[in-house]
Amino acid sequence: MNQKVRLKVNGTDHELDIPARRLLVDCIRYDIGLTGTKESCSVGVCGACAVLVDGEMYASCITLAASVDGAEITTIEGIAEDGNLHPIQQAFIDHGGFQCGICTPGQIIATKSLLDENPSPTEDEIKDYMMGNLCRCTGYYGILNSIAAAAKNMNEAAESGG
Amino acid sequence: MATTQSAIGRSITRGEGPDKVTGKSIYTADISVPGMLWGRVLRSPYPYARIVSIDTSKALALPGVYAVVTGQDVPETRVGRRMLDMPILAQDVVRFVGEKVAAVAAGSKDICDEALLLIEVEYEELDAVFDAEEAMEPSAPDLHPDMDSYTGLPQPPSGIKNTFAHITWEKGDIEQGFKESDIIFEHSFNAQLMHQAYIEPHACIVDASEGNQVNIWANNKDPYMLRDQVSAAWGVPTENIVLHPTSIGGDFGGKGSFMDVPLCYYLSKYSGRPVKMVMDYIQELMAGNPRHPAVMTIKTGVMKDGTIVARQARAIFDSGAYGAFKPRAYLGGADHLCGVYRMPNARIDSYTVYTNNVPRGHMRSPAKPQVVFAVESHMDMIAAELHMDPYEFRLKNVMREGDASPIGRHWSQIKALDTLEAANKAANVRDARPANTGIGMAMTDLVQGTGQFAAKIGLSDEGKPELHMAFWDTGTGSHTVLRQMVAEELTLNTSDVQIILETTANMPFSAGSGGSRVTLSAGKAVVAAAVDLRQKLVEAASPLLDAPEDQVSLQNGLLMAAGRSVTIAEVLAATGSESLTGEAHQTPEAPDLTSFCTQIAEVHVDPETGEITVKKIISAHDIGAILNPLNHQGQIEGGMIQGLGYALMEELELEDGHISNLSFGDYKIPTSADIPTMETVLIQGDVGPAPYESKGIGESSNIPVAGAIANAVFDAVGVRITDLPVTADKVLSKLQELGNQRK
Ligand code: FES
Ligand code: FES
Repeated sequence: MNQKVRLKVNGTDHELDIPARRLLVDCIRYDIGLTGTKESCSVGVCGACAVLVDGEMYASCITLAASVDGAEITTIEGIAEDGNLHPIQQAFIDHGGFQCGICTPGQIIATKSLLDENPSPTEDEIKDYMMGNLCRCTGYYGILNSIAAAAKNMNEAAESGG
Repeated sequence: MATTQSAIGRSITRGEGPDKVTGKSIYTADISVPGMLWGRVLRSPYPYARIVSIDTSKALALPGVYAVVTGQDVPETRVGRRMLDMPILAQDVVRFVGEKVAAVAAGSKDICDEALLLIEVEYEELDAVFDAEEAMEPSAPDLHPDMDSYTGLPQPPSGIKNTFAHITWEKGDIEQGFKESDIIFEHSFNAQLMHQAYIEPHACIVDASEGNQVNIWANNKDPYMLRDQVSAAWGVPTENIVLHPTSIGGDFGGKGSFMDVPLCYYLSKYSGRPVKMVMDYIQELMAGNPRHPAVMTIKTGVMKDGTIVARQARAIFDSGAYGAFKPRAYLGGADHLCGVYRMPNARIDSYTVYTNNVPRGHMRSPAKPQVVFAVESHMDMIAAELHMDPYEFRLKNVMREGDASPIGRHWSQIKALDTLEAANKAANVRDARPANTGIGMAMTDLVQGTGQFAAKIGLSDEGKPELHMAFWDTGTGSHTVLRQMVAEELTLNTSDVQIILETTANMPFSAGSGGSRVTLSAGKAVVAAAVDLRQKLVEAASPLLDAPEDQVSLQNGLLMAAGRSVTIAEVLAATGSESLTGEAHQTPEAPDLTSFCTQIAEVHVDPETGEITVKKIISAHDIGAILNPLNHQGQIEGGMIQGLGYALMEELELEDGHISNLSFGDYKIPTSADIPTMETVLIQGDVGPAPYESKGIGESSNIPVAGAIANAVFDAVGVRITDLPVTADKVLSKLQELGNQRK
């Protein structure tokens, strides 16, 4: 059975007529066509499919699109600002935060969610928060360095720029 | 113009970085082609059974279904990377839980799944065998009665039941060696079934819907090999098969197998549409191509002073139901079963055996993590019995310059001792440690593989080099390193060099990524192509500069002679792009160098629970020049944490051929919370087989970890775990045994 679902994704409104059991990840990837959001485990434990729903991190692989009707969604494609890389994205490039890059959209969404909540996390807080985002390539060292660098750069920019 | 710095040895960030962090990188599962359908497979619920009947009529009648295929609809040909033993779809018999029995192409994933439920299959179960040693018994069921006739069998039939490869390595006379020994030790070890756990599952799109050409997108790192494999399976000439570039979301040895590609072709043929197949992770864990489990026994004869005189080792690798996923049909890494020690007499026997388990493939440094765990545990067990310090025991026996390896190989520049001493120094092994804390060491070497590669370098309209290759990066950053090489030879900045990925139709054969061969083999081809282009630029500039060729040089991207200069763009404008293309297609010689790695782990064991905390790992590597420190370090770190997962937690749990932990929720891999402090020690030599005296680094750091951790656990609490993974449960039960003995 189909259902009408309205989503605002990265600032663009979408009105979709989709099966009621459509998963958010499929809706984003195939109905809307934003394939930056990845799917791996499909059971909500790897973080590859992370998106922000009204600012909160969701595993889109275990979320029904219909259940977030009316929400504002940010995917990896919506993180850069005015065509400029977000400081988190730049830090992942500069500090070895990715290798194959398949987990990276989720890592960056999770980092955004972390730093929105806690702009100056300790190393242990970062490790704890990021536990739900698996990466098989980096051994996490590069990711943790990237997050620490992103936090530092953003805090410095906030101080100097106000 | 600013002077260009050398492009080599710098942490150049990835060219693909901006795409990777913005979600623009396109992986196979992200690709859509017009008219594309979804394909899904029905898998066997039985480990060994005869297919009595399949009824697909209800599935075919479901609206939205375009094709349903079974074994009868595909040729009986068998597919394989070397040995051709795997059917495209089960023909009458299924040999493992998860074997493909039927497949559906439909307008959506949901319709596919609905259709699969409507396929009725009747099976008749057969007596299966799940244990490799049992499968070798004469009374075991014969899983492949036609085995001796399989194409690609690695050697003449072994004569042992279900055993398609019995490979030996030998030096000296072990019988004599054991006679001369004062004491003989023998221990046995088990290594578990592990998944590569790349985050991106296997995916492919095959379009055989129009004309003769078959277009393929697949996250397979060996596009030419894949082309040849499917060509043989389908009876389609290779020139009609085109592999298109795609990003690959992690490999670790697992992305060299053809997986669903041979089958997907028939879904496309029958439906008349392009078809996309994406494995979900349940299927990955059930029916991917995981790392081989092994049963290993090592026997060593030593003199009282600890000198090794003879070693005999045996490994039995459970290949599962097929051998098709192995590029050599057997595992060459078994040659490391005697370690990196000097010994006059040695013999290794390795067996690769069919069982009714999921077929196994390659994983990062195939067979070495298994056998190095065994040999390094064995070393410490001998040391303990001899009341020798494990470090002293290794010092006494480790290979030195001029020594032949246990199996008689000769290397120049043996740096085993250097890595051992360096790791030892970094660990302060003699320091007092808190209670229940211990350290353990393990060491290995790794030889870089070679392969054929093709590279072509042209110039853009602006005179910037464009490196053309049909070679997909699995995530290691190889494209950036290859661009650095072009920049170096043409005295430019790496950012001036673009890589352009070609389809397989546009370039001659290249081997893919794997066996630590890329920096060496792809690198040499790229450097040769760049040198070729440089020479052509010099030739073309000579008349422009009015100077003989031997006086023209390329510096900072300018062609100079006698105080005058022209830019590459000016040479291009004067000469035209036709003649300004550098090309190379070559296979380098196998190197006479190997690279050593010693690791030392420090662990704490909770005596109440057996829980193991790895506090620190030191990883000492014998390396050449480093081309890109950021990439280099990333390879060491990533490999080490995979090794940590192997050592402590990862195991596909098999019971009677069924794997029970079929999700990342149950198959645990290390997370950010599991990682220890890491210290890398780089011992930089001045030679390496790869360009600019560099060496590959992709595989070594994942090899010794398990041995080092098992040895550290013994050091901490005196229990010896000989079967991987080293879990809290195993440690606790051994601790309780020890406690009971002491009472
Ligand atoms: S794919 Fe959603 S959490 Fe893994
Ligand atoms: S970068 Fe490959 S999985 Fe994280």
